[in-house]
Amino acid sequence: MTTPALAARGIVVRFGGLTAVDGVDLEIEDRTLVGIIGPNGAGKTTFFNALSGLVTPASGRLFVGGADLTRKPAHVFARAGIARTFQTPRVFADMTVAESVRFGLEFAGRRRRAERASLGDAPAILDFLGLAESAAVPVRAVTPARQRLLEIGMALATRPRVLLLDEVAAGLTQAEVESVARLIRRCRDELGLAVVWIEHAVAVLLDAVERVLVLHQGRKLAEGAPSAVARDPHVIEAYLGDGAAEARP
Amino acid sequence: MPRRALAAVAGGAAIAAALPWLLDDFLVSLALSCLMYVALATSWAMFSGATRYVSLGTSAFFGLGAYVSAWTVAAAPWPVVIAGGALVAAAFAGLAGLAILHLRGTYFAVLTFGMSELTRHAVTYGEKQYAGTVGRVLTVVPSNRTVYFTVLVIAVAAVIAAVVVRGSRFGLALIGIGADEQRAQTLGVPTRWVKVAGFALSAAFAGAAGAAMAVRWTYIDPTAVFNPFIGLQTVLIAIVGGPLSLTGPLLAALVFSLLAEFLRLQFPYAYLIALGLLLIVAVLYLPHGLAGLWQHRARVGPAAEAR
Repeated sequence: MTTPALAARGIVVRFGGLTAVDGVDLEIEDRTLVGIIGPNGAGKTTFFNALSGLVTPASGRLFVGGADLTRKPAHVFARAGIARTFQTPRVFADMTVAESVRFGLEFAGRRRRAERASLGDAPAILDFLGLAESAAVPVRAVTPARQRLLEIGMALATRPRVLLLDEVAAGLTQAEVESVARLIRRCRDELGLAVVWIEHAVAVLLDAVERVLVLHQGRKLAEGAPSAVARDPHVIEAYLGDGAAEARP
Repeated sequence: MPRRALAAVAGGAAIAAALPWLLDDFLVSLALSCLMYVALATSWAMFSGATRYVSLGTSAFFGLGAYVSAWTVAAAPWPVVIAGGALVAAAFAGLAGLAILHLRGTYFAVLTFGMSELTRHAVTYGEKQYAGTVGRVLTVVPSNRTVYFTVLVIAVAAVIAAVVVRGSRFGLALIGIGADEQRAQTLGVPTRWVKVAGFALSAAFAGAAGAAMAVRWTYIDPTAVFNPFIGLQTVLIAIVGGPLSLTGPLLAALVFSLLAEFLRLQFPYAYLIALGLLLIVAVLYLPHGLAGLWQHRARVGPAAEAR
């Protein structure tokens, strides 16, 4: 059996008395696409924060390519190949689009040059995203939809092994959402990445991923193939409340 | 290092180096004060301008450098005294940075101010306890000309360091921390170490400047060398000049140290009121300082075409 690109075991994150993530496991191999869904407050983003080293879990262990990174700071995760985006795009407003991408190449990306040869420079990354003509534009002047793409580009610049996408399709039009879904599949197929994708637009996500994890109140409610999870009465109940499972045809 | 910047620094340094032969003593001491603020404001902007960690700790580093100088100037060669001031200030900033650089914004500013006060009281206490005195008269001191050229070298070194840092990965990391620290960290920047190193590097220049200026005053005590005015004036110069630019703080240092000398003596209150107002205006309306006014114009042009 191959070593998973990323393995999380029994992750618990607490904020004061509140347990935001309560014993969640996740394993993902290279070249796979996993979705995470769940109602608001289910702990999806907090789980991502733990997977990228931004919050330290109260218990549980994190392995990247077999190496134990539990309790390490976020830049160690980035250098080990974990890249992420944020729900509200966190881009460098004062830089140009190309400069923002170069930033990732200069830090985690530089360390990982030997491991990942794909998309070697900023023009290649911007081409991949379809942002080439915006290269010289200041980030603050590009549209929110393009800022979301740019954030994926900044993440790709770290030459990752695992890409964590937090609601990259939020606020986009239907056509834009579909093009983002295509882009995410290309990250897996062409770049060989392990992708974990959180999304509120459940239908698009279920269409794109091969496995889906459902979080509810910090716990794993279900995990499996999208078609099976979509029929799971517990999942339907969590989303729509009591009685909805019976009401649905 | 860009050739144009190098030429500008060399030209400025050559002019400054000629002044002791061209001007009388009073004007040379004005030039010395200018050079001191060039060193302080440029090194302040190198860290605080890029990272937006506004430090009021300059007077602590300056004062520590001054005391290192007072303790060692009679016994050690002059370059060693200056290097000692720089190293002690940098080491102190490094240790303090490890403790307080996880705090942002107002908290960081207030703590660095507190750190200055703490250092001043610690030195006062130490001097009383072990030397039996608070002030020190420095009897064996280098000539005024030596002090002038030392401060000139420190100022030039600060400007060159600022140019080199700006063009380096280290400088890019500092800018990334200023833009969005967590984002920079998730892109692989070891933010904690970059901040501590930047804070210490910036403090080294303030320490060196303090070590050089101490002998100029011949009598030093904690109130004079840990004077918060030095730290505040430094911040003001850098912010009004433009914390993200190189030339902004440099030119502002020249203008404000001259203004300070002339206006502070004649209209002490009016000068301080004007400084306060200017700082408020700069913070509210000119986030990139006076330098932002012309840089903005330069930037918008080509960017607009690219769109």
